[in-house]
Amino acid sequence: MMSLQYDNNNCEIGVFSKLTNAYCLVSATSASANLFTGYESKLKGVIPIVTTSIGGSGTIGSLCVGNKNGLLLSHTITDQELQHLRDSLPDEVVVQRIEEPICALGNAIACNDYVALVHPKLENNTEEIISDVLGVEVYRQTIANNELVGSYCSLSNNGGMVHSNTKVEEMVELANLLQVPLVAGTMNRGSQVISAGLTVNDWTAFCGSDTTAVELSVVNGIFKLVQSQPDFVVSEMRKSLIDTYV
Amino acid sequence: MPRRPSSGRRVLKYQPLAFSPFMRLLSFASMARRNLPHPEDCQCSDEEISFDEKEKIPNLSKKGKEQQLSDSSDEEDSQEDVQADFEFFDPKPTDFHGVKILLQNYLDDKEWDLSSFVDFILEQTTVGTVVKVADDEDESVFALVTALNMARYKDNKCFRDLKEFLRKVCSEKTIANNLEMLLEKKAQDVGLLVSQRVMNLPPQLLPPLYDGLFDEVSWATEDEPTEELRRSFRFKSYLLITKIYKLKNPKQRKPRHGEDIEETIFLKPEDELFLELSSWSFTFPMRSQLVTSQEMKNYQLMGLVMAVEANKIPKFRKMLNSLIDEQ
Repeated sequence: MMSLQYDNNNCEIGVFSKLTNAYCLVSATSASANLFTGYESKLKGVIPIVTTSIGGSGTIGSLCVGNKNGLLLSHTITDQELQHLRDSLPDEVVVQRIEEPICALGNAIACNDYVALVHPKLENNTEEIISDVLGVEVYRQTIANNELVGSYCSLSNNGGMVHSNTKVEEMVELANLLQVPLVAGTMNRGSQVISAGLTVNDWTAFCGSDTTAVELSVVNGIFKLVQSQPDFVVSEMRKSLIDTYV
Repeated sequence: MPRRPSSGRRVLKYQPLAFSPFMRLLSFASMARRNLPHPEDCQCSDEEISFDEKEKIPNLSKKGKEQQLSDSSDEEDSQEDVQADFEFFDPKPTDFHGVKILLQNYLDDKEWDLSSFVDFILEQTTVGTVVKVADDEDESVFALVTALNMARYKDNKCFRDLKEFLRKVCSEKTIANNLEMLLEKKAQDVGLLVSQRVMNLPPQLLPPLYDGLFDEVSWATEDEPTEELRRSFRFKSYLLITKIYKLKNPKQRKPRHGEDIEETIFLKPEDELFLELSSWSFTFPMRSQLVTSQEMKNYQLMGLVMAVEANKIPKFRKMLNSLIDEQ
């Protein structure tokens, strides 16, 4: 779990990068290599880290959505950038550009490797492509009356975090749909735009440097990132070893 | 083979503060019914679709009270004038995000502990003012003005970073000595005057804003609970870090059609007055560039650091009042 910053003390790392189980994308238009170095320190040799821009813009986290099976890009991406991505990412990852009017795919779609939540106004065509390319079940949803589910929800295969104003009933319903535990929280010191401040996959997470210790502990808990800690192992083992306390 | 980002410096473009939350509100109002064009309908493949403010940019934070000042601002959007009441508040912890956005480029593109700096500003409720629009749900911060005692915070990392930055950008030896004096020996009498705002803020707000600040400083010298705090507001000089536009090649430009080409353009009108009254000043080139219009292409953004003696402040207040009255 690492705290990162983009250029110029900007803590919205989720806007400038994308993290999945199979690859990591970082904005190429940064004036400093801080973000890249931060990711590299944890991910080097584990998964490829690719720098890119989308249509010349550095806000790649907002403009694309992906998981281990595929990557979907907004139609604003240039052919050159698309080819660069296809070359740099593993062959198993299907890279595709989609013609969708809502081109901020990262803001509109939240997904993990099995299920995706999408903006209610997404085109049907796009929904099919998402389901094919990313290999997920697609559900149209709003989160706390917000249509931009991608911005206000961050998902991994182990858990998810949603906008802090989400009602409990809604969270129960979503958790049933997504089959992962959910928690309502904030990132970057009270910001409700979760995925701007957080990028997460199954074994690690990166958050914006303004994130408080409380927010960090919530992230650690819900995304089950403390596997490597000895406490976790002992407590898990204890449950299976000890039947009754005398 | 993944490409590493090149180590060469790139020009950093950031959203100008001119695109203030207020302007954004107005543009949303006019855009409300607009349907997004389907990509296939676009004739030209390199037609720009503007993303402007991404939804992921945080909502600027909430709440407030205190002294009221009404002012109307004329904002034009499809020939509409908008009335706005600006209110002055004491800094509060919830203003964190708004103030942080205003101070993004305070030290050019240096990576420093901006969050702690903002925390110090917000903790100091006795001296400092935050300007917001009345009845604004978002409670966006439009302007900030405050004065921080250099010695009080000198042990903190953000101030050490700030001092290191100033020492690094000061290129003139004679001034470097003066700067060093203010930063170290005389630090307990030096106030760092932080003043940042959105670019299109009405200038009529400036006299009350600065009057308020200097009044608060003098009240603090009497009202603060401990002698140490009272002492810390008896500033003998103020240090300012601000931005100006300087002509890139001053000798080569010939005035066209008899117009005056100004050598220096001040983003904030009071900077010109401060510079006039300053004991010393220096400029340094800034790596980050604001998005500019065609007229500004001959100008380069420079940082300006100046020191103003506290006894010049009453004169400054008078000059500011007359400057704004003229406009």
